[in-house]
Amino acid sequence: FVSSQVEILDWETKKQLCFLDKVEPSATIREIRLMFHKLYPRWYPARQSIKLDPKGKSLRDEEILQHLPVGTTATLYFKDLGPQIGWTTVFLIEYTGPLFIYFLFYFRITFVYGLDERFTSSPHPVVNLACICHSFHYIKRLIETVFVHRFSRGTMPLRNIVKNCLYYWGFAAWLAYYINHPLYTPPSYGKKQINFAVIMFLLCEAGNFSIHVALSDLRRNGSKTRKIPYPTKNPFTWLFFFVSCPNYTYEVGTWISFTIMTQCVPVGLFTLLCFIQMTIWAKDKHCTYLREFKDYPSHRMPIIPFLL
Amino acid sequence: MAAAGSGGSRADNGYGGQQARRRKGPGALATGYLPSRCPVSPPWLVIAVGLVRAYLAKGSYHSLYYSIEKPLKFFQTGALLEEYLLIAKYLPGIVPSSVVLTAFQVMSRVFLTWAVTHSVKEVQTEDSVLLFVVAWTITEIIRYSFYTFSLLNHLPYLIKWARYTLFIVLYPMGVSGELLTIYAALPFVRQSGLYSISLPNKYNFSFDYYTFLILVMISYIPIFPQLYFHMLHQRRKVLSHTEEHKKSE
Repeated sequence: FVSSQVEILDWETKKQLCFLDKVEPSATIREIRLMFHKLYPRWYPARQSIKLDPKGKSLRDEEILQHLPVGTTATLYFKDLGPQIGWTTVFLIEYTGPLFIYFLFYFRITFVYGLDERFTSSPHPVVNLACICHSFHYIKRLIETVFVHRFSRGTMPLRNIVKNCLYYWGFAAWLAYYINHPLYTPPSYGKKQINFAVIMFLLCEAGNFSIHVALSDLRRNGSKTRKIPYPTKNPFTWLFFFVSCPNYTYEVGTWISFTIMTQCVPVGLFTLLCFIQMTIWAKDKHCTYLREFKDYPSHRMPIIPFLL
Repeated sequence: MAAAGSGGSRADNGYGGQQARRRKGPGALATGYLPSRCPVSPPWLVIAVGLVRAYLAKGSYHSLYYSIEKPLKFFQTGALLEEYLLIAKYLPGIVPSSVVLTAFQVMSRVFLTWAVTHSVKEVQTEDSVLLFVVAWTITEIIRYSFYTFSLLNHLPYLIKWARYTLFIVLYPMGVSGELLTIYAALPFVRQSGLYSISLPNKYNFSFDYYTFLILVMISYIPIFPQLYFHMLHQRRKVLSHTEEHKKSE
């Protein structure tokens, strides 16, 4: 019986933090993380970055010791990633905020628009519609977070949540302020504009949901490996013919429709920022796909068919 | 600071006699461009000369802004492109400089020049305008000489010392001028509703330039000390390094 030994050094100081002997060669990095956690209780597995090279990438949980380029004594490096928070938790907090913040403005809670306007309601039907759409959007996101999404990485650094919440909550407050304002002006082209926007909104939400379900199905058996997404029988997924990340495409579409529906500059600005952020993410994802799969469909664009 | 993209001469500028910019191509841009502007940087020298001439002519310094208004605006705006090219593309490695900090500096100057001093005519006769123009002028002349000599690999200690020491006085001077100018502009902005839009309007948007200016002033509080201490830190690093180098000779 050949057993391996593992020594773990600090990535910066190269000081030996622990020495594990009698490790099974078939042990996974996950098991090594658990062993390390026993010795250092405050460094729970999610915040351990274990790597082969001090400046290299973190090893995945599923990697097996004997498949790594190490001898019988493996030298691994540890880096503390800082306090971590689960993706599901982050999403739940991020999305619940805008949902309730919008209501503060919709119901014109006491100090929001001054004492005279408290608890009044808008004479414009589009304002009620906007509230329904905005709430629907975030409720849908919350449902997807709990039941649909399968995250490849479990956690992210804790400080991200402050940044993310400031962004989502801040913008929700800013756009809710204008839409529900007593001096709000409804769209210039009236019912035509609003109806068009609602239809576009519903189509994009349906599309976005379809894509999330399709992506989730790729990982149905609990595996964390990436697979190429393909169009299914659902017509909304046919966008996969043209783009790598149709979920982002539909998301931008949702926000464009909301901008048209409310005809409100802050909404437009939020849409623009979403578009920029999602284009960055889509390009990243697209490059990853191209790198990992030799047979990746070459005519696909990251986020906008034929263009971007 | 002249626009790097503008090639040869500028017909709209009454201050002729500047050297034409020789541009040999992107690779040689750094070495060809800076020396061709002469160590003491014609654009800022132009402004400095303009200031001195106007002062001597009028005997007072109250309306000096008008004499250097055009070149100041032109060069400040051209500075945007130039700073980007210099700092982000051609000088890294030669001169250590933070892209973010320099970008911030250029942004704030363009803002002061166009969004405050130009837009609010009433502040143009303020002394505070002179304060920051003088501070910027001296700083930039020294800074460009520093870059030029660095590229030529022949940097006199005096220039290096000046760049890393005079800022101790010039930064606060410039910042005071900027803040006083913005403060002076406030009542006029409030009165005229400059750059402001209020509800109701069909875009469902509102913006209050007055509040925005106050926020800008407040933002100086966290940002200025950071820039200042960064420069002090650089000073310690750069000047002590030279001392060691000298000792070892």
